[in-house]
Amino acid sequence: MSMNKPMPAYTEISRPFWSALKEGKIVIPHCTACGHWIFYPRRHCNRCFSHAVEWREVSGAGQVYSYTIARIPTLPDFADEMPQKLAVVELDEGVRINTTLVGLAEDEIRVGMRVKPVFDTVRKDGTTLLRFTAADKDMATRIDSSPEAAVAASEACTTLARPRRQVRFDDEAAMKALVSDEYSEWSSQVLVDQALIDEFVKLSGDDYWIHTDPDRAAKQSPFGGTIAHGALVQILQSRLRMPLGFEVVGFNNMVNYGSDRLRFPAPVPAGSRIHARARVKAVERLAKGMQLTLEVTTHVVGNERPSVINELVILYM
Amino acid sequence: MGLKGHAAIVGAAQYRPEKYATAPRMFHLEQVADLADRALQDAGLKASDLDGLVINGPHFHEASVFVPAMAAEYLGLRLNFAEVVDLGGTTSVGMVWRAAAAIELGLCQAVLCVLPARMAPFGPDEDPAWMARAMRFGGHSTAFGAPEAEFDLPYGHMGQNTGYAMIAQRYAARYGYDPVAMAKIAVDQRTNALTNPDAMFFGKPLTVEEVLGSKMVADPLHVLEIVMPVAGGAAVIVASKELAARARNRGAFVTGFGEHLAFKSPTYAAEMTETPIGPASRRAFEMAGLKPADMDAAQIYDCYTITALLTLEDAGFCEKGEGMRFVREHDLTWRGDFPMNTHGGQLSFGQSGSAGGMSQVIEAFTQLAGRAGDRQLKRCDRVYVSGTGGVMSEQGALILQGA
Repeated sequence: MSMNKPMPAYTEISRPFWSALKEGKIVIPHCTACGHWIFYPRRHCNRCFSHAVEWREVSGAGQVYSYTIARIPTLPDFADEMPQKLAVVELDEGVRINTTLVGLAEDEIRVGMRVKPVFDTVRKDGTTLLRFTAADKDMATRIDSSPEAAVAASEACTTLARPRRQVRFDDEAAMKALVSDEYSEWSSQVLVDQALIDEFVKLSGDDYWIHTDPDRAAKQSPFGGTIAHGALVQILQSRLRMPLGFEVVGFNNMVNYGSDRLRFPAPVPAGSRIHARARVKAVERLAKGMQLTLEVTTHVVGNERPSVINELVILYM
Repeated sequence: MGLKGHAAIVGAAQYRPEKYATAPRMFHLEQVADLADRALQDAGLKASDLDGLVINGPHFHEASVFVPAMAAEYLGLRLNFAEVVDLGGTTSVGMVWRAAAAIELGLCQAVLCVLPARMAPFGPDEDPAWMARAMRFGGHSTAFGAPEAEFDLPYGHMGQNTGYAMIAQRYAARYGYDPVAMAKIAVDQRTNALTNPDAMFFGKPLTVEEVLGSKMVADPLHVLEIVMPVAGGAAVIVASKELAARARNRGAFVTGFGEHLAFKSPTYAAEMTETPIGPASRRAFEMAGLKPADMDAAQIYDCYTITALLTLEDAGFCEKGEGMRFVREHDLTWRGDFPMNTHGGQLSFGQSGSAGGMSQVIEAFTQLAGRAGDRQLKRCDRVYVSGTGGVMSEQGALILQGA
């Protein structure tokens, strides 16, 4: 989840609703004069205009009033949720809530299906959104889709621990057999937050405001906030654990020869998670040793368009 | 109750829809002056005849407050009636009836209704990214305390596509859904656009297969069922019957109108598939003393195919739940038995912001005046026009009649 996703700014009127979500509860205003349930929260009843309104806890049981599967992100920052399963849920009390469905395949979703609440912590500060899943789904009532939790989950991913095939650097046929049009599976993830960008500013001396000034960037940058330096995203590939499926062995020395091609096609907004995948583009025997060209593409999680394309040239001697 | 039908649209002007990137950049005040001049020439009236102004407030480039006074000063008009309309896609319809009502009340004799929708030139501190920043949240407010900022945006509920898609999805669950019929709406309108050299998609035929094969944006809406945003701008002049009598064109008399709104997000509609165009249209027909079947043409606001479909049903052109069958059984082209959006609709004409809805008003006027060229209807005396703002949240209807 990108840090640039809009977050709810609580008001004095709505605070009890959001506070209750953090505790895994749903409270909704109820009109004691006419019995009407009110959502979103207001201080008056939007049926009888009475101000005799009090907060009451509800179960969150309800049904899907309608839904859609969004195939293009409604905001670029939602790319990591694709496809978005947007829904309107009608609680049994009659109020309707704009939300998203979780833990469901696309073809499991129906208008009228019974749902139950899922409390999703989306920020380290405990900010919790109210999502829903099918009533009969065996799913945790509380989930954590904060960026930090997503990065930790990617580190624990089993594909990274898979044993790797060893290939001798001087076995030309075996090395050439690594060349492929197919990319590897995704690497682990790294969270590119403002603190990391600020450290790179110190190291590199590149202190252009689009990287350093979140306030100005929020107003003036087309990306809605600061973005990481392309060079920072490029070098972060060293921190990404890549499930290449092979390991080159038997060499005395390995030289990073630079890059045949380096492009930054898409920005990485501060707060994005990135990951990468790679493929061996070419293998060539030279007088000095065996040269391997590894195309590494680094993406913001969920974004089809890469943020960095790097054709790394490595010489094994 | 309502209008006597003593005011008429007598002149119109409309910029040809163009891509934003290549359209001329003009200040909105300059567009207003230019469109006013063209509409006056079209009507055969003089600037001194104008004594009323209805203009858009939101998205007006040079001011966000005091817009009518600034525009009157810039144009050089003395006004007895000035109004700002903030009704999204039904702004055009809302402008026309407000102008007609003001004229019938005797406040004024000729009202300029104008919607500039080309981009303004960039200032010294502005750049093309301004557009991207302004559009980031579409029509959604991000202000502190705005309910949608707090309860919609964090979930990714934003923009128009997904709201219309959810209405379509619920419609499908209640009444069934025929993607081919939905595609036919876009295809029949494209056939109309092939006779309109001003349309964005003039010269580009379209098939049902192409619509259904186009990218799915938000289930069940394909990209070719969604309007293309373009630069443009439009104006009409509404005048008293006395002035209309000496105007150049056959006037389009405003004999009925209706307007209805109750929510911004259809999530909070009593029933999201029963749209505000229902009560708005019933009022309009009642005021005019006419029925849907009396209409010679329907110019129906079509930001999406589903908008057109629900308007056909809720305005009473067919029974609820029968819209898909109606579309299958009728030829919606200018040659057909139910001429609809004879200029191509916004789906094929292009949607120039809130001026997009004026394309439907102007097409109704053009047909009534007998000036529609190759696509002219043989008989056209009564036209229904609809407007839709937000996510079918604010809607309006007009009944226009030739004298």
